[in-house]
Amino acid sequence: MRAIDIHTHPLLRDDHRGRAGAAQLIGRAKANGIEHIVALGDVLGFGRKPTEAQIRRINDETAWLMKSHAGYVTGFCYLNPLLGERAVGREVDRCVARGFRGIKLEIANNARDACMRPVMAAARQNGLVVLQHAWSMTKIRQRGFHTDPEDAALLARRFPEVRIIMAHLTGCGVRGVLAVKDCDNLSVDTSGAAPEEGIVEYAVEQLGADRVLYGSDVPIRDFAVALARVTGAKLDAATRRKILRDNARALLKLP
Amino acid sequence: MNYFDANTWIGRWPFAFLAAHTAGSLAGHLARQGIGRALVSPLDAVFAPEPGPANRALLRAVRNSGKLEPVPVINPALANWREELAACASDPRVRAVRVLPRYHHYRLGAPAVGGLVRELGRLRLRLIVQIRLIDERHEFHAMNLKPVPAGELGTFLRNHPALPVLAGGLLRRELLSLAPKHPRLIADLSWAEWHDTVPHLLESVPARQLAFATHTPFLVTAAGRAKLDTAAIPFSKRTAIAGANLEQFLSHETKSDRR
Repeated sequence: MRAIDIHTHPLLRDDHRGRAGAAQLIGRAKANGIEHIVALGDVLGFGRKPTEAQIRRINDETAWLMKSHAGYVTGFCYLNPLLGERAVGREVDRCVARGFRGIKLEIANNARDACMRPVMAAARQNGLVVLQHAWSMTKIRQRGFHTDPEDAALLARRFPEVRIIMAHLTGCGVRGVLAVKDCDNLSVDTSGAAPEEGIVEYAVEQLGADRVLYGSDVPIRDFAVALARVTGAKLDAATRRKILRDNARALLKLP
Repeated sequence: MNYFDANTWIGRWPFAFLAAHTAGSLAGHLARQGIGRALVSPLDAVFAPEPGPANRALLRAVRNSGKLEPVPVINPALANWREELAACASDPRVRAVRVLPRYHHYRLGAPAVGGLVRELGRLRLRLIVQIRLIDERHEFHAMNLKPVPAGELGTFLRNHPALPVLAGGLLRRELLSLAPKHPRLIADLSWAEWHDTVPHLLESVPARQLAFATHTPFLVTAAGRAKLDTAAIPFSKRTAIAGANLEQFLSHETKSDRR
């Protein structure tokens, strides 16, 4: 079994593992059959609204990972859309020049907010994939800055030419899958929460096998557990292969 | 490796697309995952007005299964809990009962729980506290259920320092906050997760306090196996966690001793 992990955070301040720990994590990824990872940065390392300098620091760390593990790590440029068009543009240019292939958005703002326009324009202009954190807000009262699947769907409809990954299938749930069903430019990753039974199968049934991507969210989660969400699901071998590897490979244009 | 699963359920859960296992389908499913034995409780006991009918159905359902060990659900907030416990305890296969404090609307500090602990001691039955059944962020939108707070379980354990307790459904941080302080606590692994889950837990918690569990059908069974199978730990610790700790917890003495 080979896999591409679309959702990892090899460096995380919270767990004090540092750069040596990131290397160990990548070693474990390889031991689990993961042939490539997407590094999204330590997105909450400075709180939910990082400054421009903090954003640069996080993306510099991702660039270091890409350089240290050349060919194994793809970087996504972490952004705080609240910093405005100029700051967003500067950081996207800096990251694109260093080979980043996507944009990561967390909980600085909701994906429906107007501040997303320059972010999505930069994604369109540079051919970048946008990975948007999302979670069903039915029990979490934070929708002012926390993206619900309905907000991710709205983003996808507003920017149909940008490829979007809605993170955390398990957190988005059945309601989330249904919310994004008609958004052909939006895929979901399988990360989020504990490995709840049935949700991967449901996503495949509703969205099709081409719109589901394996993601772990390590180090918060365990590679083996995250992979078992897919390998332990009632899916045929071709569908599993798409989720684990082929869909991400096509999306990231990997060799 | 002898896998003895500390946390499985039969019956139907109305709020998610989960397998509604019978005893037969659960035993078959676990066998296909390489899990030889399991503790099993009835989902019908969670929302029923009282758990008696579901417990009776559970005991009937597993009567021919050597692989599924029944764990009835007791609700000490109801007036009939002693009667229900006595009925369950009369079945020689029952070695433990499970309580669901938040689903049954009481706290572990309630006087009735103290009474239950005393009665369990008299009957030589073990206590399993289910902290959560599902992620509280994913509860049905019209329900307002929270897990048992770690602090509440910690107070309960402090008040009963000699009582062996198996806690089902502790998150990693909850497990790490409780297990080192309470040596008689055994934590099932079903909800605990980190990038190297088991070695990470073993840095702070002795292996004897951890028990393999899949929380089937709520969680992907294979994920529970994978968590332990891929852990780089000594064989002796793997064996203990896979099943020996749970067996030791349950078999503090032979069944005949409690007659």
